[in-house]
This record gives sequence, structure tokens and C-alpha cells, in this order.
Amino acid sequence: MLRDRADPAVLREAALALLTRYVRVVDDPRRLEEWPELFTADGAYVVVTRENVERGLPVAIVRDDTQERIQDRLTVIREFWGAGGRAEDRHYNEAWPRHLIGPAWAEPAEDGRWRLGAHLAVYLTQPLDGSSRLLCVGCYDDVVEFSAQGPRFRAKTVILDTPVLPDIFVYPL
Amino acid sequence: MSALPRTGVPAPDRAAVLARVSWPDEDNKIPREIFTDPALFGVEMDAIFTGPVWVLVGHEAEIPSPGDYKTAAVGTIPVIVVRGADGAIGVLVNACAHRGTRLVEGPAGNVLRGGFRCIYHMWTYDTSGRLIAVSMPEDFPAEFRKEDYGLPRARVERWRGAIFASFSDAAPPLREYLAEMTEGLDRVLGDGRLRYLGSVKVVFHANWKLYVENIYDGYHVTALHTGFQVVRLRSHGGERLVPNYERQGHLWGRSRSTPVSQLQPALRDMSLFETRTKPTTDHNMMVVFPSGVVTDYFDTIQLRYVVPLDVERTLIEFTFFGRADDAEETLRHRIRQGPQVLGPAGAITLEDIAALNRVQSSAVARGENVVLKGTPKRFPPYRHVDEAPIRHLYQAYRRLMGFDAARPR
Repeated sequence: MLRDRADPAVLREAALALLTRYVRVVDDPRRLEEWPELFTADGAYVVVTRENVERGLPVAIVRDDTQERIQDRLTVIREFWGAGGRAEDRHYNEAWPRHLIGPAWAEPAEDGRWRLGAHLAVYLTQPLDGSSRLLCVGCYDDVVEFSAQGPRFRAKTVILDTPVLPDIFVYPL
Repeated sequence: MSALPRTGVPAPDRAAVLARVSWPDEDNKIPREIFTDPALFGVEMDAIFTGPVWVLVGHEAEIPSPGDYKTAAVGTIPVIVVRGADGAIGVLVNACAHRGTRLVEGPAGNVLRGGFRCIYHMWTYDTSGRLIAVSMPEDFPAEFRKEDYGLPRARVERWRGAIFASFSDAAPPLREYLAEMTEGLDRVLGDGRLRYLGSVKVVFHANWKLYVENIYDGYHVTALHTGFQVVRLRSHGGERLVPNYERQGHLWGRSRSTPVSQLQPALRDMSLFETRTKPTTDHNMMVVFPSGVVTDYFDTIQLRYVVPLDVERTLIEFTFFGRADDAEETLRHRIRQGPQVLGPAGAITLEDIAALNRVQSSAVARGENVVLKGTPKRFPPYRHVDEAPIRHLYQAYRRLMGFDAARPR
């Protein structure tokens, strides 16, 4: 087990590599099927605004708080919103996403888990007019677990500074 | 109510702006220039939003304690919705009476201690909008009196905790304005004791009227929302009423949807489409003209505030509520369901944003949008799949704006 070897430098590098892999997957809509594999069996993906967090309000923009819901998101994206599924002609998802990750850090937490954080900005580029627009600014506040299969997200929480979304977003942040 | 200074378009200019729009004779046709003309937008903000209407600006559960306030808008006018020390709710214009500085930034807070103090010259107002303190008033004109410099206040009335504001003396009492909408509101809001769970805000790149007419439109629901087709959810009866259609023309759509047990389990977690808190799967989708949306779709209790930003952008705030006496598990279900279905990233909401963006971006093509489904019938009730109620929305709009009434088709 990677965790048992417990070389902090190795674990830190593995956690940051998980973040890099995550960003490469979500920025390539063709690789979306790999996205659920980045989470543990009891993993959670949640998108909240800092505004609601600071006011103690529980409403999230996205609350995929089980592996089932994480996999359902793929179905919604592919089948409901038409990225490669039955409603492909709808093309709600034509905009191409691009995450820009600022400083990223990983710190040991309890029970062998690691906390992983990063600043992020996400741009969407519209094929129609070629414009690139800022979708949101925020940060990741994640929990990473290590197992024989390597690091996975136990929780990925996207905290958005942007209180008003300027557009829809289809793919995971 | 203190008088709200009319800052908009003077009457002669208004007539010229209206004359630029050529409404077709048929009342099921909508000229696209009403979605693209910035001058017309200015007229609308005066004639509709500060006209004889009641604008939904919040629910008491958002400001439960004395001194609690939230910011909101009546059309393009920024307002503060505040609960006073005595519990009374006021709606104040969010601009200092001195030099117009915005008094409150941010979504919400509490001012029980200190009142609303302007950063610019330290003028301070209490929760009823009275000017209570002025810095260094020496050398002011002798006739200066604080009583003359209160914040403009809207009329405020409530229905089951929902807060409505009007800047017009001509708006009828709220109950009369809502007419039979009160029955629908009662079904959603119950006794009014709700618990605020938070909100999500998104900008639609579409004129505010396109957003509102989308709710009046029952035709798009199964056509646009692919998710409903995938899980085979449909309406088993229902109707689209237009309460008070001879005047304001609200929308009350009600229907019964397929129970979750009979849906195609396309998702692993079907609780998105589940109704646990009501005896049947009946739900209501309502618009209090011109800009308040109220629904109890599945187990989601939601108000939406439609805030026009400019002629082609509209901010929608989706607010979510539980009932005050909800059990923990029920509350958790509502929190997990609401935004996942009926928010900007919701499984059956995102498509509306995409569709309306496209209507707006092609509105410059001129010509007319047309309303067909259900229109052989002249008056409500319509079927739940009809788009005919849109006609009544624009009849109300034309009356308030001063366009000539449409000739019946």
C-alpha cells in the first residue's frame, strides 16, 4: 500500500498528480468517462458559492454527494444535455472548458488522508464566435485518500468566489 | 410610500419609442424588436416595474430576525428588503438620499445596531428608511430637515410570507392583484412558515420577457427537456390557468407527473424526480406578473426573482426553501433535490438557458415570434402542454406599456 510506505514527499507528489489528472480529464470532454474513476466509492463532488458557505446556507449549485450521483452526472451530460448521447444534436456543450490552476498545495490530514487545495479560474471558449469568457473563479478544497489503486478524491469541493454565474456550465469544474 | 422620482423616459419620448414597434394585428404574434430595443427597455422599467404591479422581492424566511435585510431589485431599481426591530417589513431604495450612493453592498446582513450608514458622508438611516443622523450639518441651508431626506419606500404587502413591493399607488391591494393565484400560492407556501436554504444566481443572455414567457409556455417542456424523455416523465393531466387575465395575466400551471416508481430508472439516484412530501405528484408552476416565479416541483419549494439587467441580460435568482417543521431527513432530501433539478446546473433547467440564449441572439433578425399551440381556444383554462397563455402575458404587457390593444385573431 502506497499509504503504508508513508513517504510524505511521495504522497504529496501523488496527490498533486491526481489534481493534474483531474484537470486534464475535465478539460477534455472526450475523456469524461474517466472522471468518476477519480473518486473513491464513497466520494463526493460538490460545487458551492462562497456566499452560501459564509452565510451557513446549505444549498449547493451541484451536490453529487455519492458515487451514484457522480456517475449520474455523466448520464445527464451525455444523455440529457447531449454531449455524445441521444440528444447530441442539441449541443448545449459546445463551449470548450479550460481550467487555469494557480498555486496548489497538499497537506497530510487525519487517518492517512491528505488535504488538497488549489486556486482556479475556468474559461469557456465558444466555437460560434471564437470568444473566450471567464466562467468562474474559486478554489478547490479537497480530501484525497490513498489505496492500493493510488490516490482518489474522497471529496472534491469547488468553492466559487463568483456569486453569479455568467453562463451555464455542462462539464465538471 | 414616499414618492419615487421618475428617472426614466419622458412621455413624448416614450410615445416615439412605442411607435417604433409595429405589432402585428394578430395577438399571437410578437415582434422581435421588443427584445432588442434598449430605449424600449427603459420604458418597460417605468411602465411595468414601477407601474401598477406587485413585484416579488423575497420571502420572510430570508430575513427571519429583527434587523435582517437582503438586497433585491424592482426592475432595475436596487432595493433593500428589511425587517425592522418591530418585525415590520420594509422595502427601501438602496441609494442614499444625499448623493445617491448605494447604501448596502452584498446579498444580506443585519443592521439592528447602527442602521444603514452611507460610506460617503456618513448619513445614517433606520430600518424604516428615516434619516436619523447626518455628519457635520453646520452650514447646511437653514431649511434642511432630516424628515425631508428619507429613503424612498415601496408599498409592501405579503402573502403567506412572500414579500411583494410596489412603487405605484395605482396597484390594487395585493389580494385583489393576485386574484385566484392565492389558491396556488397557498398550495406551495402553506401557512408561510418556511426555512430558507440558500440561493443560486445565474445570468441569462436573454431579455427578461423571454424568461417569463418560457414559464407561460407548456409546449416546450417535453420538447426541450430531454431528461424528461429519458426517464419517461410526463404530465398526467393538468391545466394552465391565467388568473386575472383581463388585467395582469399571471400564470398558474398545474399538473400531475409520473410517480418516480413508474419512471425509467435512467439515473442511479432517482430521488431527483421523487415526490415524498405531498400526497400526490401534483405540482404548481406559477408566475406572479411581471417577474415572480413560485413552484413546488417534486419536493422543491422555490421562488425565483427575475431581475432585468439590460435589454439582453436577465439575472435569475433561484431561492430554495424547506418547511419550518421539516424533519432532518426531509430537509436533506430537499437540499439534495432542488438545485440538482431546478437550478442553473439542474438536469431540467440548463436547457432553458441554452434555448433562451439562442432566441435572444437571433432576435436581431427582426420578424415575429409566433404562438400556436392551444390558441384556437380564446380563453383559459388551457391544457398543460399549451403555449397559448403567452398571449395573455403580452396582452397585459401591451396594456401597461400603452400599445394599442391587439385585435382578436
